Amino acid sequence: MTKKTRRNIYRTARLTAFYIFVSGVTIAMLLPLYFIVSLSFLSTREAYRYPLPLLPALNVEYKLTHGERGYLLSVYDPIDKEYQTVLDTGDLEKMSVYMKSQLGAPMSVPEIEQQIARLEHEAPVFFTRRKSLLYNYETFFKVAGTGQAVPALIRSLEICAMTIAISLTIGGMAGYAFARYTFRGRDALKFSVLFVRMFPGVAIAMPMVIILVNMGFYDAPIGLSLVYSVGSIALTIWITASIFMGIPVSLEEAAQVFGATKIQAFLRVTLPLSLPGLAACAMYAFLGAWNETVAAIILTQFNPTFSVVVYQTVLGAVGQVNLAAAGGMVMALPAVIFTFFIRRYIHQMWGGVTV
Amino acid sequence: MATLQLKNLTKRFGKKVVAVKGINLEVHDGEYLVLLGPSGCGKTTTLRMIAGLEEVTDGEIILDGVDITDLPPRKRDISMVFQSYAVWPHMTVYDNIAFALRLKKMNRSEIDRTVREVAGMTKIAEFLDRYPFQLSGGQRQRVAVARAIAVKPKLFLMDEPLSNLDAKLRVATRTELKAIHHKTHATTVFVTHDQSEAMSIADRIVIMKDGEIMQIGTPEEVYDQSASIFVADFIGTPPTNFLDVELVREGETLYLVNPHIKLPLSAENAARLRGYDKRELVLGIRPENILLTSADEADLSAACLVAEPQGSHQVVAVELDDKLLKIVAPARPKVRSGETVHLTFKQESLRFFDRESGARI
Ligand SMILES: Nc1ncnc2c1ncn2[C@@H]1O[C@H](COP(=O)(O)OP(=O)(O)O)[C@@H](O)[C@H]1O
Ligand SMILES: [Mg+2]
Repeated sequence: MTKKTRRNIYRTARLTAFYIFVSGVTIAMLLPLYFIVSLSFLSTREAYRYPLPLLPALNVEYKLTHGERGYLLSVYDPIDKEYQTVLDTGDLEKMSVYMKSQLGAPMSVPEIEQQIARLEHEAPVFFTRRKSLLYNYETFFKVAGTGQAVPALIRSLEICAMTIAISLTIGGMAGYAFARYTFRGRDALKFSVLFVRMFPGVAIAMPMVIILVNMGFYDAPIGLSLVYSVGSIALTIWITASIFMGIPVSLEEAAQVFGATKIQAFLRVTLPLSLPGLAACAMYAFLGAWNETVAAIILTQFNPTFSVVVYQTVLGAVGQVNLAAAGGMVMALPAVIFTFFIRRYIHQMWGGVTV
Repeated sequence: MATLQLKNLTKRFGKKVVAVKGINLEVHDGEYLVLLGPSGCGKTTTLRMIAGLEEVTDGEIILDGVDITDLPPRKRDISMVFQSYAVWPHMTVYDNIAFALRLKKMNRSEIDRTVREVAGMTKIAEFLDRYPFQLSGGQRQRVAVARAIAVKPKLFLMDEPLSNLDAKLRVATRTELKAIHHKTHATTVFVTHDQSEAMSIADRIVIMKDGEIMQIGTPEEVYDQSASIFVADFIGTPPTNFLDVELVREGETLYLVNPHIKLPLSAENAARLRGYDKRELVLGIRPENILLTSADEADLSAACLVAEPQGSHQVVAVELDDKLLKIVAPARPKVRSGETVHLTFKQESLRFFDRESGARI
């Protein structure tokens, strides 16, 4: 074996190990995601069978015969490749509900009666129904807090928008001051803004409730967005301060020399250049406000946020893991969309402009 | 087209640092004035005060008879080329140049005409649609210049605009800057620490040190009639040679004496030193004013330490005690190191300085 081939083998081995590692990490991250997505489309029966189907079935194949107590309903199991009995009842109402809630392929009572009529001539009868894939999602919105889901969703978006606005204006201004001006105790002050993140929300829940009640902001979106802003302002200050520090003062000075006021110089030069950083801050503020549940449970009563509604539904959906998965998906989707858009924006700015 | 006056202009940073110590200066209409000095002497601070970017501690800035000391930068009718260029990275070259014009509410066609005119003048016409990051350093520098001349200011400020360019480009660009000045005739204050740059482009040079003005004059004046040891040393390469000498009278003749030399003074030089009451002084002489000569006419003979051929001339260095004396001599005959050279000093080019204050006598 020559030296060269040995080196080649070594390099190939190293590369292979690297790819195995990378794919391992990727799989470890993607697998849970895959399961929750797939789970949210499964019917309850599918969700509780073992092994778990990798993909939701698109159709349900029914088999109906006479049974001991009335009619015997079986469904085809694509994994075991056989019909399995699921119900033996004479109560068609019950059968209809079962088809809907457990199998996700609903049939009305008259439709079932039609099939029963066929039993006169032949037994068993086979028929196929299209599965309603979004059943879990529909149920989630119906079940969740008796029609609270949509208002809660809007309320949550409102809170997120306010949190972003508050933390970007206050945090951004403070970050600018930290970046551009030297004053006594600047570093200590900058460090101390992180202290607010030291306390777990639950620990200071009671004082927060009292303060918000006194302000008249208890159970109101503005109250929650104030609470969320406290945390995200701190991070916004740190992110924007470093962004502003990276933008040379001379760019602003040049704008002033060439006819701009201080404000115009900021708006036309520094602000556009700091947009990627501000977008990152906005993303952070959004995710923080969107996902937060503990404070929201404590600080709301009749006007819960979406995360609270999801939380309650998931709690109430004992024995319906697929419904919980759908709730999780509904919760995650806006965050994913927002992140996706803003990420593209961050990338675009950082890729296109170097300061 | 404007005149600029600085009256007792002072800048303090905090309590201790006095960056500019009450300077007085007048820049004439259409003049190309260069602020020259070693780094840290307060050139940038002075320029930034004129621009309005630095608050003035004391004194006045008067542009065309109007006191602009407390005006914000945008109301001063000036423009500036920054050392770092400070072209805006998120705007195209066109937008960079048009920025000030748009703020002035100039109409579109006029903006377009002006942008293309100055882009042509600075040779960046083909880059108007590009972003600064798509340009080289030299091109970015041109954008900064184009942006500054587009506004047709009363006063044009430049803070070491060439210092970030490589040596060859720097020399080419300074010629172009001067050519642009010939077209615009804009009153200009140009800051640099490079004396050869200053010599080559200035109408007048202001030499600064530690926040004070050491001398103001044309390039010829500051070179030939340097006001102090500092100026004579700072201007010119190689710099002026300095010799510590004693003034000795023997009969009617005055001599400058030190262990290596006994130099009789001409009548004019003797007249100049007549009123001087100290015996010790510093003799300054530029390297090209020391001539190679024959042994019997020599004021000084010494062994050559090194000779550096420069093509058109050679620089010969001899060692006196631990000091080097440099001579700029014709390229031929070639001097070899170790060879004894015979030197004579041009009487009319001798300059005398006080040993304590460094001031010219
Ligand atoms: N913002 C500042 N704060 C404190 N000292 C400063 C500041 N800017 C400049 N200085 C000091 O003022 C002096 C002059 O600086 P500067 O004008 O930049 O010199 P130059 O441009 O001639 O190199 C230097 O000693 C410098 O340290
Ligand atoms: Mg400087």
